Amino acid sequence: MDVEIQINNSPNANARFLTWSPAPCRIRVTNPAGAQGQGSPPIRISARTTTSGGALVFRRGTTGAFATSLQLNVPVNGNWVSFFTAGQFGRPSVNLNDVQIQARHGNGNQVIGSTPCTVRIRKNANNLTPGERDRFIGAFAQLNNQGLGRFSDFRDMHTNVSSPQAHGAPGFLPWHRAYLLDLERELQAIDPSVALHYWRFDRPSPNLFKRDFLGESDNLGTVLFSGTNPLQFWVTDGVPGINRRPFFNTNNATGVRTEAQTLALGTTYPNFRTMEGNPHGSAHTSFGGSISSIGTAARDPLFFLLHCNVDRLWAKWQQINNRFNAAVAAAYDSGAWPIGHNLPDTMWPWNGITGPPRPPTAPGGTLAQSPVVSAPGVSPRVRDSLDFQGKINAAAVMGFDYDDVPFS
Amino acid sequence: MTTKRRSAKTTSTKKVAAAKKRSPAARTPRAAFAVATNEKKTSAERAKAFTEAPLQTIDSDKNLQASLDVLRDRQQPVKVRLAALQSLQAASFSVIEFEPHREDYLATLREIVDDPDEELRQRVLGILSREKDAYTQQRLLEGLQDPSKALVPPEKALQLLSYDVHAEAYPVAREIVNAPPNPEAKREALRLLSADANSAPVFEKLMRDKEEDRDIRQISAAALQAVKPKRFQEQARELLLDKKEYDDIQATALTALAQFGDEKAVVKDQKLMKRVDELGKGKSAKVKKGAKRFLSRYGSEK
Repeated sequence: MDVEIQINNSPNANARFLTWSPAPCRIRVTNPAGAQGQGSPPIRISARTTTSGGALVFRRGTTGAFATSLQLNVPVNGNWVSFFTAGQFGRPSVNLNDVQIQARHGNGNQVIGSTPCTVRIRKNANNLTPGERDRFIGAFAQLNNQGLGRFSDFRDMHTNVSSPQAHGAPGFLPWHRAYLLDLERELQAIDPSVALHYWRFDRPSPNLFKRDFLGESDNLGTVLFSGTNPLQFWVTDGVPGINRRPFFNTNNATGVRTEAQTLALGTTYPNFRTMEGNPHGSAHTSFGGSISSIGTAARDPLFFLLHCNVDRLWAKWQQINNRFNAAVAAAYDSGAWPIGHNLPDTMWPWNGITGPPRPPTAPGGTLAQSPVVSAPGVSPRVRDSLDFQGKINAAAVMGFDYDDVPFS
Repeated sequence: MTTKRRSAKTTSTKKVAAAKKRSPAARTPRAAFAVATNEKKTSAERAKAFTEAPLQTIDSDKNLQASLDVLRDRQQPVKVRLAALQSLQAASFSVIEFEPHREDYLATLREIVDDPDEELRQRVLGILSREKDAYTQQRLLEGLQDPSKALVPPEKALQLLSYDVHAEAYPVAREIVNAPPNPEAKREALRLLSADANSAPVFEKLMRDKEEDRDIRQISAAALQAVKPKRFQEQARELLLDKKEYDDIQATALTALAQFGDEKAVVKDQKLMKRVDELGKGKSAKVKKGAKRFLSRYGSEK
């Protein structure tokens, strides 16, 4: 007997990516020989992984407990049977396709169908393997393509002119969530194994500031790279290189507000979003150089890892306080805010709207689409950014997760 | 079998509760700001208080003026002034709230570009340069043309001018490349010139010059790649074929070709492919890594 397994209900190999959030999958019999007359033989689903590879859990429907294996009765007539799978929290992938969903007939050992997949998770960048690190910076360098690549759109989205769309009001966190997702999807179009990783600025992250990764700053603040690091060809605004002068010892933490202190800012969004000052602004200004000014910050790739950590903190706060539902008052700010900061507002530049009160141009077009999930759409609204794990509406899942923020 | 998981929610909730009890950040932002501006407190206490709650510096016009007063007052401890600057700059990221104060802030920064403290001066000039402040650019350029007017060392001035490159800076940058006061100034001058296609022959010469510092050769390679990518590829090829070339530079050439090379030209270049095969079997770890990446794109490991 043979079966076919589809992840995210898609035959597309580019859709075989999982997070901690449940992903819809399906299985069908493609060759009934050996079914021993059973109309719907029992088929056992489980994962095959390696010691350091990703691990999976399964469940039959949209609710209920996950388990490491699942038994389904699959009709021999070729009809699909649905089930759900997710990455097992704490066991993300390290390499592309380092875990497989396998199917076996009944209690037998013979594999009758399998599909490789990847538990693609945003991780603490300080802890990446050399392979993960090299793929990450390789994709970044390719996106920049010596200043000629698509990265220039991301640089142009975050300038002094456009900054009121994204800062100083409630939309700060939603806008940056969409911005990071857009960039991450572009990186994944270059190398699908890559996720956007985060700089945990309240913890020592010495590996980040090495010549093999985001570079080592000299006394002047010029960032130096090893000969094998493709970021040595980084160009923004027509100028090669990166300026970044740390005001702290890069073997230590920055001294900004810690994660626990940030999460303790309050259980309502208006209190929590004061983190825009400290730790967010304080992390930016723990350096001199591009990253310490709003108009130039996006010239430094570190900026995206810094903001990924800001987003992780928001995700963690949402998880602790159950703040995924835009209809819950404490999950966001009420009142009338400048355009782009209210829940029903579309977000620039993905909405393509230009002219006052929006900026004069909208670089980059619509938000990059994913072969894995459909949310938050090409032109997301502020409210679309909250339910990133699809807890309130399964269709809202955005296809990213953090290594220390579970689904449950 | 149901998966066992640690209760992340419970753990996180406990951590948050503990943080509330012990955290110095439990002090209200207003209380922190009162300490920051209290001259009876120690410099360390004031500096810490300033950086603790940056948004307090713009909570009211009174707070902004008090913060700017600390920043411009040469009698205040430098440590406190630097902390006030860092806090104001962090607050500047909250654009909508900061906007009404922005002109006051920038005007204060312009007032202190001549401050006797070099670190403060450098940071202030950095912020203004990133704002493309014409007054600052003029002062930096004057300092390069006449060292008696220099606010910062030439390498720093060149680095700051590269935030908004204007052709007026090219002549002095070329002079510094030809007669550099130090290697850093030469490197920063090359970086500033990297948008200048007329400087391509200089980049090419320096990239190939084995007597030059590695950093100079690396920035020259990046600059040549930026203005004349085809010419860069030809030069990178020559570097790789040169058996006496340094490992670092060969690793740079391999990385550039692996990442950005013209695939059609590279794959039909049998001499180059053979040479990279050899390099992949050599002793240098960084060259081997570069060769492996190159071959995974173009060659036998594809």
